[in-house]
Amino acid sequence: MVRFKNRWFLVEFIPIPSDTKILSTPPIPLSRSSTEPIQLNLDGKAIYSALKQSVLSNYGDVGWGAVGLSLSVKYFSPTTNVCIIRVGRDQHKIVWGALTLLNGIESAKFIPNVVHVSGTMKHVQLAAIAHNRTVIARYRAMADAFGKIFS
Amino acid sequence: MFYDLNIPITTTISNSGSKKGKGKQPQATSSPHFTAAPLSAIDAHLDLLIHLGYTVICFNQTVNKKIDPKIHVNVLNEMLDKLKPRPGILFLKRLSIILDEDSEKGFGLINANTSYFNSYDILSLVPTNQATFALACLTHTLPSPLTTHVISIPLTLPRFPFYLKHTLIRTAIKNGAVFEINYVGALGGESDSVLLEAGAAETNGGNAKRNWWAAARELVRVTKGKGLIVSGGVVAQTDMRAPRDVANLITLLGLSQDAAHAACTSVPKSLILRAQTRKTYRAVFSEPVLVIPEGYSAPTQLPPPAVSDTFTASAPIPSASSHEAVPGQKKRPLEDDAVESNHKQNTSATASAQINQSGDKKKKRKKNKD
Repeated sequence: MVRFKNRWFLVEFIPIPSDTKILSTPPIPLSRSSTEPIQLNLDGKAIYSALKQSVLSNYGDVGWGAVGLSLSVKYFSPTTNVCIIRVGRDQHKIVWGALTLLNGIESAKFIPNVVHVSGTMKHVQLAAIAHNRTVIARYRAMADAFGKIFS
Repeated sequence: MFYDLNIPITTTISNSGSKKGKGKQPQATSSPHFTAAPLSAIDAHLDLLIHLGYTVICFNQTVNKKIDPKIHVNVLNEMLDKLKPRPGILFLKRLSIILDEDSEKGFGLINANTSYFNSYDILSLVPTNQATFALACLTHTLPSPLTTHVISIPLTLPRFPFYLKHTLIRTAIKNGAVFEINYVGALGGESDSVLLEAGAAETNGGNAKRNWWAAARELVRVTKGKGLIVSGGVVAQTDMRAPRDVANLITLLGLSQDAAHAACTSVPKSLILRAQTRKTYRAVFSEPVLVIPEGYSAPTQLPPPAVSDTFTASAPIPSASSHEAVPGQKKRPLEDDAVESNHKQNTSATASAQINQSGDKKKKRKKNKD
């Protein structure tokens, strides 16, 4: 049977507050003293259009034609900046590359970090749960460490 | 295990006060090169790298043209002491020398300066014209205390500076060198300032991107996917990418998926091990140990010590000096479990070399295994 197969990406967008270079001062969320993540004002539609722009500028109309019909953003969580994207299997590399080459949306800059790639939605959901767990654990560890410094 | 072998660390040497607050370094005195602010920025940078999944991180100090131990201090030692301790992460130190026409006569990579170079784990060269490229590929990749194991061709320059001759590249790879691709160019991000000043990198983001794609593709084509490593070269945090993302980007250059993955994992791993051979004699890792089987009685007359002497001398730490040269002795104890198969290859190589007494064979075997 010739089934249409998909690839599901689990992407985490790591926000970068401003133009921080390696040897300048502003801290980034992971090493911030407060445990709140910075809010990027994104939503599914904004991500989709940014991704479309990235595919168009890096791969042209041909690339978008290969990808466009099957690309969709299925889930986005503003609190953890985690996104689930679905693409067709044959063109998933194009989208993956375009995602990596994405730098930010309008003013907000971020690092796209593809955490998991899978063929089924179920496994992506499981991966998302596991990822959230590790991130929360990391924040908690940081909070503990920060608390210890002051106690 | 993912490797990022190029985290550029810059310190200014010019007289003008830098906005980063680092002092001049006229001579090798212990002026504080890193104040608190850049250190916290470096810590933040490292946090992000570790979050993305890199476990081996190599700091890169870049020097233009000539290297002079009196002027160029190893700032990385100092910096590493001041960083937050992170268990489970391996930090390495690397030195890059940018070569151009002025460096053709010599740029300080001489035996007299070996002790200075030993403070770095990896040495690398950035050639910018055909002659220095030939020099880098042929002479500086031979095993010695001064081998530069990484050749980093500037990929964002507008006119690709020189023709990549296939034979040169093949010799370099056979000798164990690797060619480096810095993925920061793909994103049009900012490169190391020393490179920019020396004209080895392009400032304009869009042009840099276009040149990078063309040049990197050419490099992949000429090396046929062997002997390539991918590393960061990232200065601004916005350009950092997770290792698997980077591997996917490299597949777009025409590299197959497993070769791209190897360029991020196994090739840097063997590179680091190979770089440790700078501290050994002629790239021999282990010392030969004699194992005497039970029931063997030593011959009453010892054979002439010529063969055994050369090999006890060549081992980094010669153990008991009463080694007998017993040519038929094939039994060797297995090295520790932590040792790579490279090491085993070297011990069998030394066994055969004992018979053949040829250092070149040792080298060839080791390189074939790589």
